[in-house]
Amino acid sequence: MAYELPIPRRGIHTRPFWDGAKEGKLMLPRCIDCNRVHWYPRHICPTCHSTNLEWIEGSGEGRIYTFAVQHMVFGPWSEHAPYVTAYIDLLEGDRMLTVLRGVDPEKPEAIGIGAQVRVEFEQANDDTFIPYWRVVGA
Amino acid sequence: MPGQLYKSAAIVGAAEANQIGFLEEPATALQLHIEAIKNLSDQTGIPIAKIDGVFSTGWSTELCEHLGITPKYIDTTAVGGCSFEMHVHHAAAAIYSGIIDIALVSHGENGHSARKIGSGGGNYGRGAGNASPSHEMTMAYGLGGAPSNYAHAMVRHMHRFGTKREDYAHVAKVTRDWATLNPRAAMYSKEKHPFGGPITVEQVEESRLIAWPLTILHCCMVADHGGAIFVVSPKIAARLSTKPVWIAGAGESMSHGNMMEMGDFTKTSADKSAEAAYTMAGLGPADMELAEIYDSFTITAAMTAEMLGLAKPGEGHLLWKDGHAAPGGRLPINTNGGGLSFNHSGMYGMPLLIEAYRQLSGTAEDGVNGDKGKQTNARTCVVNGTGGSLSTTGTLVLISDDD
Ligand SMILES: [Zn+2]
Repeated sequence: MAYELPIPRRGIHTRPFWDGAKEGKLMLPRCIDCNRVHWYPRHICPTCHSTNLEWIEGSGEGRIYTFAVQHMVFGPWSEHAPYVTAYIDLLEGDRMLTVLRGVDPEKPEAIGIGAQVRVEFEQANDDTFIPYWRVVGA
Repeated sequence: MPGQLYKSAAIVGAAEANQIGFLEEPATALQLHIEAIKNLSDQTGIPIAKIDGVFSTGWSTELCEHLGITPKYIDTTAVGGCSFEMHVHHAAAAIYSGIIDIALVSHGENGHSARKIGSGGGNYGRGAGNASPSHEMTMAYGLGGAPSNYAHAMVRHMHRFGTKREDYAHVAKVTRDWATLNPRAAMYSKEKHPFGGPITVEQVEESRLIAWPLTILHCCMVADHGGAIFVVSPKIAARLSTKPVWIAGAGESMSHGNMMEMGDFTKTSADKSAEAAYTMAGLGPADMELAEIYDSFTITAAMTAEMLGLAKPGEGHLLWKDGHAAPGGRLPINTNGGGLSFNHSGMYGMPLLIEAYRQLSGTAEDGVNGDKGKQTNARTCVVNGTGGSLSTTGTLVLISDDD
């Protein structure tokens, strides 16, 4: 089935991320000077302002920092409402946005802040595999 | 005779992006900005972290977020090619007045590369380009209007402090009470709007879900509004028949642009902007007799009250729940009926200023037809606007002429 949700346009500096996603790897930018992982990918380390950056393969593990359930939605996502959006704290540090899988949007009280999540990738087109996160533990 | 800004500031360095001209490998505007800034930092020895004022045509929020800095003076004047000369002027004024010490004026524009990769950039991917990696990494996930974002902060705030959604519903109920005293408020009465007039906490809770936990009555309206104010020198003020309200303090700050970059979802940068404003005014939260706070959502008002020092962390909602913010309370808040029940057109900063002026100049008495009106006795007021996704804050401390 064709992927009908918004598909990011791959940037120039984010190529390693999308190339990794295609192979099921969660690639993350890390500063060689201060060793901190940051997300989203930058031209400069937001912590120490070094431009000495590299890409590493992340664990694909994280925890829910917070979430919300989207009921009033316009555009392509409206057919999927209600769904749960969440900010994920990566095991390596810093935070990603996602649409959460493995949860019931009608029972938000049952969704645990701090719950363990794991990344998975969905193919959107030939080159773009989009990361989504699934609840895998408490 | 030289003006006040004469020799009050100097330009101490100038640098460019690594490559300029007709680039073979296309560059984004954001990249050109960042390279030039890095080179300027290297050239002058001024660490990027020491920049405390940022001036850039429409770009300032994104630049600061990308750099991971939170300046206390943010200018995005964008009026064409002369903008940068104006930035220097504004920067000099900010430095002269002691608000900042190190101003960054930055430019990045990919006129050539844009033909290959689009212009984009600024405001998270405006245009067809892919210049904004934060937009690239969030646009897939079904977030839309403000409620879709703010709901995440509310959930985290509830989690941290053990509060219930109902606690915040009191903000909507009390703010509506104010609107019923203001004939200009959209929700003044049932006659004025079918959903107008007083509301109960239960009604707020049971109204339609927008983005859980936010129901529609936890959200501001989207209506039409226009407003303007004059700010003049003391000399001019002395000649006018209208009452002056004095700007005692002012401050600004930011924590992020894209909500993904908001560190602690239970805090905004209003603690910083308020600290600057209070310090400038020589006053503190305990001296405030009135507050006008951007209430895009009930959570915004409650959280901001905490940031302004009007309540302890996690206890902002109690100002409304316990009646302090209500008509007749010890600290009236959002006396016009707020963005929740007076009016909100998208950017609510101006109605905050208008209501603060009216209250402190004694002209807030909108009562008609036997209504008691909303005029308070306040002589001091803290005004706080919040922009973006709880991203940017501006705080003013205003005092009446009789104080
Ligand atoms: Zn670093």
